[in-house]
Amino acid sequence: MIEREVLTVEEIEVSKLIPAVDALRAAGWRIIQILGVSGADHIELNYSFGLGMQHRILRLMVAPEAEVPSITSVFLGAYLYENEIRDLFGVKIERIAVDWLGKVYDPVEGKAFSKITVIATSSEGGPR
Amino acid sequence: MSSHEKAAPGPTVIPFGPQHPVLPEPLHFDLTLEDEKVVGAIPQIGYIHRGLELLVEKRDYLDYVHIAERICGICSFMHGMGYCEAVETILGTQVPDRARWLRTFWSELERVHSHLLWLGLAADAFGFENLFHASWRARETVIDVAEETSGGRVIFGSAIVGGVSRDPGDETLRRCMKAIEPVRAEILRLAQVWIGEPTVRHRLSGVGYVSKEMAYTLGAVGPMLRASGVDYDARAQGYEAYGEIEFKPVVETAGDCMARVLVRLGEIEQSFRILDEVVAKMPAGPVSVPIKGMPPVGESWIRLEQPRGEVLYFVRSNGTRQLERFRVRTPTFANIPAMVEAIKGVSLADVPTVILTIDPCISCTER
Repeated sequence: MIEREVLTVEEIEVSKLIPAVDALRAAGWRIIQILGVSGADHIELNYSFGLGMQHRILRLMVAPEAEVPSITSVFLGAYLYENEIRDLFGVKIERIAVDWLGKVYDPVEGKAFSKITVIATSSEGGPR
Repeated sequence: MSSHEKAAPGPTVIPFGPQHPVLPEPLHFDLTLEDEKVVGAIPQIGYIHRGLELLVEKRDYLDYVHIAERICGICSFMHGMGYCEAVETILGTQVPDRARWLRTFWSELERVHSHLLWLGLAADAFGFENLFHASWRARETVIDVAEETSGGRVIFGSAIVGGVSRDPGDETLRRCMKAIEPVRAEILRLAQVWIGEPTVRHRLSGVGYVSKEMAYTLGAVGPMLRASGVDYDARAQGYEAYGEIEFKPVVETAGDCMARVLVRLGEIEQSFRILDEVVAKMPAGPVSVPIKGMPPVGESWIRLEQPRGEVLYFVRSNGTRQLERFRVRTPTFANIPAMVEAIKGVSLADVPTVILTIDPCISCTER
């Protein structure tokens, strides 16, 4: 039997993240991944969850200085994605269950995937 | 405590990797041991991170497929295909039927050679050199077929946005299927060793257990997930030609290293059956459509089933020839938390075997 993928994208507030993820866990969804996309002045976080062939995205728009709660208390396996996003985009993620303290891509330093950094440094002729 | 009394021994932390005889690529664990038993493991990746996702902002979106293919040397075709599917979705491009079937052919060929590569490496991890040699000898014929049909042994180079770049022709496909007939017989013989040999069972049965609940909630994918009893395989979506062929996921329930072996052995035989069906039903016609202009603003999400499990591609276009974002969540990246779980409780001597049964691809992980 063929089940075509059904994709839904829902934008939510940071404060609604944990309740929304809790509800997905209770309903039998699994974590697929967390994706970061950098805008000019914000970071977009996309939390992917799967249930069979359904694919649901919870989308957050966060300011560079904002703090985002870790979802590892609900989905332990999210710690890799959260550590990666913190290292590559500089997003502050609170209380990651397995915290590499910014050393996933050691010895790479900075926020290589963040375009916010580019804007801040390009006028000074600094590196990306 | 007097000076002649010894303190009780505490846990010992053993570094495993990043260079280790069973690891062709760098991966590190801090293993916490009590006697010989692993009670904790902290993974470390990032030794060879290449930043290929970022490169999408610098390259023409039609050319980037060559970089996507180089994310990994084992599932190279499927990385190229996944990227193409994501871009085609934004473009609204309908790929010709023959291209869809050829993509399915190369995907399954890649699955067979990847699983045979893994069978050899896994046998090598517990010192069964003959099994290692026999698995890789069988794989060589499959690689020959890949070369004859696509032109490449490692990087097939045949996936392009809009279809495939090469049509091997029906006669070549039928001849190749005949050429790999002896491989099928050889794999059945090797399967008897994997399943029936007591020394193999001793090293794999009951070792590296991951429960169904744990595999699911940790986000495991592929044979790692299906060996723990979860009936999920992204091919069931019916992408490319999978919607038009017989397909049912191979699932085991024991959740140990042997179950992961059995899933992959079952998938090799299943892939051969799919290859038979694909060649028999291969439609005639063109293998690509021309792609012109710039992609519209938009985004797409694609999930495929690679040999190591579900892979996710995300592409976002800003309307120029350079895409704004490309993301690939590879199966090994998703399987690391479950791999850590599988290591806990095993003896130090079994750690290499458990890691190998996940079939880790660090090249993919360090995209």
